Amino acid sequence: MSDPAVILLIEDEAQIRRFVRAALEAEGYRIVECGTLAKSMSQVNEAKPQLAILDLGLPDGDGINFIRELRTQSEMPVLVLSARSAEGEKIRALDAGADDYLTKPFSIGELLARVRALLRRNKTDGTAMETSFCFGEVEVDLARRQVTRNNQLIHFTPIEYRLLCAMLANTGKVMTYRHLLRSVWGNAHIESNHYLRIYVSHLRQKLEDDPTQPKHFLTETGIGYRFQI
Amino acid sequence: MLYLLAVALVAMHAGRYAAIIAAFLSTALLDFFFIQPRFSFTVADAQYVVTLAVMLVVALIIGNLTIILQRQTAAAVERELQSQALYQLASQLAGATSLEQVATATRSFLYETQDCLSVLLIHRDNELHPVEQGHSLNSVLQSVVALAALKQAQTLSLPDDDDYWLFLPLPGSTYIRGVLAINFGKIVPSTISDQQNLYEAIASLVAIAIERLHFVEVAQRAQIQMTDERLRSSILSALSHDIRTPLTVLYGMADTLSLTQLPQSARETVSAMREQVLYLNSMVSNLLDMAKLRAGNIRLNQEWQPLEEIIGASIKLLGTALAQHPVKVILPSDLPLLKFDAVLMERVLCNLLENAAKYAPPTSTITLSAQVDGDKVHISVRDTGPGFPPDKLDKVFDLFERGNAESSVPGVGLGLAICRSIIQAHGGEIHASNCDGACVTFTLPLGDPPVIEMGSDNE
Repeated sequence: MSDPAVILLIEDEAQIRRFVRAALEAEGYRIVECGTLAKSMSQVNEAKPQLAILDLGLPDGDGINFIRELRTQSEMPVLVLSARSAEGEKIRALDAGADDYLTKPFSIGELLARVRALLRRNKTDGTAMETSFCFGEVEVDLARRQVTRNNQLIHFTPIEYRLLCAMLANTGKVMTYRHLLRSVWGNAHIESNHYLRIYVSHLRQKLEDDPTQPKHFLTETGIGYRFQI
Repeated sequence: MLYLLAVALVAMHAGRYAAIIAAFLSTALLDFFFIQPRFSFTVADAQYVVTLAVMLVVALIIGNLTIILQRQTAAAVERELQSQALYQLASQLAGATSLEQVATATRSFLYETQDCLSVLLIHRDNELHPVEQGHSLNSVLQSVVALAALKQAQTLSLPDDDDYWLFLPLPGSTYIRGVLAINFGKIVPSTISDQQNLYEAIASLVAIAIERLHFVEVAQRAQIQMTDERLRSSILSALSHDIRTPLTVLYGMADTLSLTQLPQSARETVSAMREQVLYLNSMVSNLLDMAKLRAGNIRLNQEWQPLEEIIGASIKLLGTALAQHPVKVILPSDLPLLKFDAVLMERVLCNLLENAAKYAPPTSTITLSAQVDGDKVHISVRDTGPGFPPDKLDKVFDLFERGNAESSVPGVGLGLAICRSIIQAHGGEIHASNCDGACVTFTLPLGDPPVIEMGSDNE
């Protein structure tokens, strides 16, 4: 690795900062810590981090406003830390521009996996998007608009194919209902979550071994979906 | 002319009959003293007969007019007194801050101005209750008529023994709020019906006062409830944050340790620490959930969705807890969308599956199935474990109730209680049974799923 990636860690609890920092430094990242939102904006400009890890429950302000402000000047990925049963908060953070979330308590393994995925995707952004995907027995060739499973051609309706593409384009990242509805249907069906659910279940039936226990088209309950290879 | 003045004066002071007599008398006197021949009632000139007749008629008319004018004046004065009294009552009622004050003000007003007794009855739970202690109706018949006045929304009267009662409904904006019962004692009913307008005016004043108090109460209750709810949710979220922070730290530290090189025994200790932290975390989640559910006013975020979605999410969330137990899912292929709160339903399925995994023998299969039955769907989770103790089948859903209190399996008896609260909030039912193991079945109403239009999506 040439220059180590710089990660901005915004968390008010010193002990959480301590073990998160230790885990990330062990992986070779450089960490810039912030205990308050007030300081974090200046750190964004000074340290030029490639990724931010943000606790939503900071005492000195609304983390969601911070994300909005950040998005006006930077596209860097944001990983949000939040408590379970705070689905509304997570959705608002994701819709404001956060890229992923972790529910407290979280394991180091999960944290590192999310950080890696976010940094990797950020690197491929801007360059041409991958044109083929393989998961399970499924192969998707975006250039030829072909999907095969066990070398059998699978037929998709236009909407199903658009949804599949939208999910593949955000591999590993959680997508809110609103985000998916907007990118597949446009603004017309922004409140019709059940349309989305029906179409996701179509994709599962066509591409998953066991649609009731999916391995790739995962449900993020109360929030949206996540596609993983 | 002087005679006419006398007639008018008599009419003013002595009434109609005296005025008539005065009219005749004055005509007679005129005839006696002034008409030729004087000092005799005989009239010489026929012309004077006409004069006398005109005089008599004019005297009678003036007398009568005076009487009518006087009566109208008296009525106007009385009306003014009444409206003044009504105004007084209205201002008293406007200042009243309780139903008792309304009742007292009305009662003393009626006693002082109309000399009658009254009882204010308020409509609550389909019955009429007296507002003031010690001032109530004294016969069953009176209560029946009062209730009839309420139901029919019209004024009813009742001559009862020696008393004459009037029951006036008190109309509010949405329904009749009560009845004002007035006891006139032994007054002739006709004078009461003369004044019925006045009593109805009083009743409507009382009704307005009661309505105002009602809305004040509603507003206050809403205010208290809102403050209460805000306080409770801020306590819960503070609690949840304060407990989760050290749990997150503990879990993260144990996790960090487990990634380093450790001797076997230390590795086992670290892994046990992680497990215990997770267990503590799920217990805290359950307690906080229960506190929220128990507090009432659960806000369900219900949406139409396929059941299989939430099943997959629950199985994935449980992860290692289900590692030893494959879950077999049996769903009808035509199962319609169901309307539920995804997060809460995930809680239900997780609790049921986790429970099954705790008690079922290792590597045995847990079965999750759904069946449509009439207007609802039955969803069951079944394991092949020892089942519930038969004598506790209907108790397992109670708070802090465990199938076997001394069981070595950890738990505090919250999981099933939470399931029941959530299912009940969705309008369903939950039951436990034993058939080759434990089986928990819950129902959800099918409702009316939205129509999905795929017209434009067929290529």
